[in-house]
Amino acid sequence: MTSETTTTHSDILRLLKFPTAAGDVLRKRHSLKKELLNQGNLVPTRIAILGGSTTSEVKNMLELFLLAQGIQPTFYESGYKQYAEDVLFENPSLWNFKPDIVFLHTTWHNVSQFPELLEAEMEVERRVHREMERFESLWEKISSDLGAVIIQNNFDLPRLRPLGNLEAFEPSGRINFLMRLNSEFANYARKHSRFLINDILYLSAQVGLDAWHGHTYWYNFHMAVSPTATVPLAQNVAAIIKSVYGKTKKCLVLDLDNTLWGGVVGDDGVQNLVLGREHPVGEAFLDFQRYVKELQRRGIILAVCSKNDVENAKEGFSHPDSILKLEDFGAFKANWNPKPDNIREIAMELNIGLDSLVFVDDNPAERSLVADQLPEVAVPDIGSDVSRFAEVLEHERYFEVDKIVQDDLNRSTFYSSNAQRSSYQSGFRDYGEFLSSLEMTAEIAPFSMVYLERITQLINKTNQFNLTTRRYTSAEIEEIAEDPGFVTLYGRLTDKFGDNGLVSALIGRVRGETLEMDLWLMSCRVLKRDMELAMFDALIEQCQARGIRKIVGVYIPSKKNGMVSGHYAGLGFARLSESSGDRESWEYDASQPHSARTRFIHRTTKALPTVANA
Amino acid sequence: MHETGKLMTRKDFLLEMDEILGLKTGTLRGDEKLEELENWDSTALISLIVLAETSNNVKISPDQVVGCSTVADLLRLAQVEG
Repeated sequence: MTSETTTTHSDILRLLKFPTAAGDVLRKRHSLKKELLNQGNLVPTRIAILGGSTTSEVKNMLELFLLAQGIQPTFYESGYKQYAEDVLFENPSLWNFKPDIVFLHTTWHNVSQFPELLEAEMEVERRVHREMERFESLWEKISSDLGAVIIQNNFDLPRLRPLGNLEAFEPSGRINFLMRLNSEFANYARKHSRFLINDILYLSAQVGLDAWHGHTYWYNFHMAVSPTATVPLAQNVAAIIKSVYGKTKKCLVLDLDNTLWGGVVGDDGVQNLVLGREHPVGEAFLDFQRYVKELQRRGIILAVCSKNDVENAKEGFSHPDSILKLEDFGAFKANWNPKPDNIREIAMELNIGLDSLVFVDDNPAERSLVADQLPEVAVPDIGSDVSRFAEVLEHERYFEVDKIVQDDLNRSTFYSSNAQRSSYQSGFRDYGEFLSSLEMTAEIAPFSMVYLERITQLINKTNQFNLTTRRYTSAEIEEIAEDPGFVTLYGRLTDKFGDNGLVSALIGRVRGETLEMDLWLMSCRVLKRDMELAMFDALIEQCQARGIRKIVGVYIPSKKNGMVSGHYAGLGFARLSESSGDRESWEYDASQPHSARTRFIHRTTKALPTVANA
Repeated sequence: MHETGKLMTRKDFLLEMDEILGLKTGTLRGDEKLEELENWDSTALISLIVLAETSNNVKISPDQVVGCSTVADLLRLAQVEG
């Protein structure tokens, strides 16, 4: 391809996908940025990069990978090596910048004192302690004064080993020392929810230390990470930031034949499938199944989308070596319909957006069809070599999370419960009878610290039932929760089938006797359950208790939130004349006597016990 | 993009430089001053070094590049011909 060749939108964006050629990304940074800025619906964020080395290349690459995730960053960069001074001396430019995220780009070059040769173990430990104190003082100041989420590199390793292999276990060895520090960084991360590690020890190992450091870049530019290694570094940081904004994919949609096992179950029969330890390819399929099972265990929903007779498809899972079992799947589509149709149905059945799905199929024609017809669905170029499937999924960082919360672990079981709810529904004369039989209880109360992470996650990934599509960081949510100038409510719903988790949130800004709604959203997994009415009842109660007489509801139309265009009208709000196509305002008299709208949900403000899912 | 495995010509290099700087294809002619170029920054410089190293297997010491003031100087360093 020459530069004169016309490149299409998807051609150029493919550069950011597996396998990423770092040189190409560097060269085409301007065209990539231009193309990425054309997308709509970008979430703004403010990132301060505090560097222990040069950071401008890190910033430029990070910008690309964030834009590719739908996040538009504004950056602050510290002066060269000023990461500590900027914080300790409260650089006014940094303080005024008010970052949402602070990324501390430090490396082994920034260790202040390595142990002396053959220093006693106790003295080495004292050094570890002193180094930790130095870093902790920064983290604590960032956290208390700036309230930002912190992303901190752990330590990579130097290329040279003056002590040879002794470096690894001699207490004064540099490698041993760096590993001790990494272990202490990890301890700190475990105790601080808004402190996240960017694991450059792993990244540098993956890239290889020579390629990671490069030979001349440190001396000539004080780049601790070579330009080409800056690409995977930026990709990794972007994945962490994506997880902070709750933009993690939720569901893995899998083909069956030659994707989860070798062979075609309908033709070859289950006994002849290539799956198991006795065959090299069979072993690779087994390992891929194990990887998928791990994803399922941590809350990623699995779905099948296969061209097969359903009975044949199901029989495949009866193979004695199959690690995946039928009950691991939240949705199962095996038929001869076009895959895009099946995938749409999967999203509907699971009540999640198409942009929450990742589709894996060994057949390039199917991939291309799905990518073309459902651009919201992530379709990695998985190839046809099963031994690389997991590697491609890992590389794209679809399922990066900043922590595992109970709701994640419950999710897979929730979706199988949801399937039970649907089949249960068909036995009722009317919908009201069905709702009533669900024995629903909603815990609705002002934002509480225990739910902070889940509320943030929900706010940042809900697109459809979302009246304003405003995004917030967990620091902002924490501030709002404590500010008497706001009314906040979250809603958690349980029913006879189990716990639906925290599914709704709203934020209103108090202006005298008026409450202006900044945010109202609900997870689509509880659509048509009257949960929005329960939230409305609770909101009116809050308003009346606080002397608020008027509620102004705001609806900002987006590409995805058409389903709530009638939300305020449905609740009896009157449309205000100041409304425009970009922003509608609706008014409700909150002082009038209120009788509860929901008939099917019992409300409580007390924390419900975590209900084991059926 | 320049074809892998083949040494870059002067024309290839100028086209790649257009790309790196986000300029319209065919903008650079070879006699421009680097400082006056739109989008000239450290990332552009570093991307050019990576390009010369990977495509033409030329080891350019960054110090040499810092000494360059025109596009023509860079072409000389990258040892492109034609």
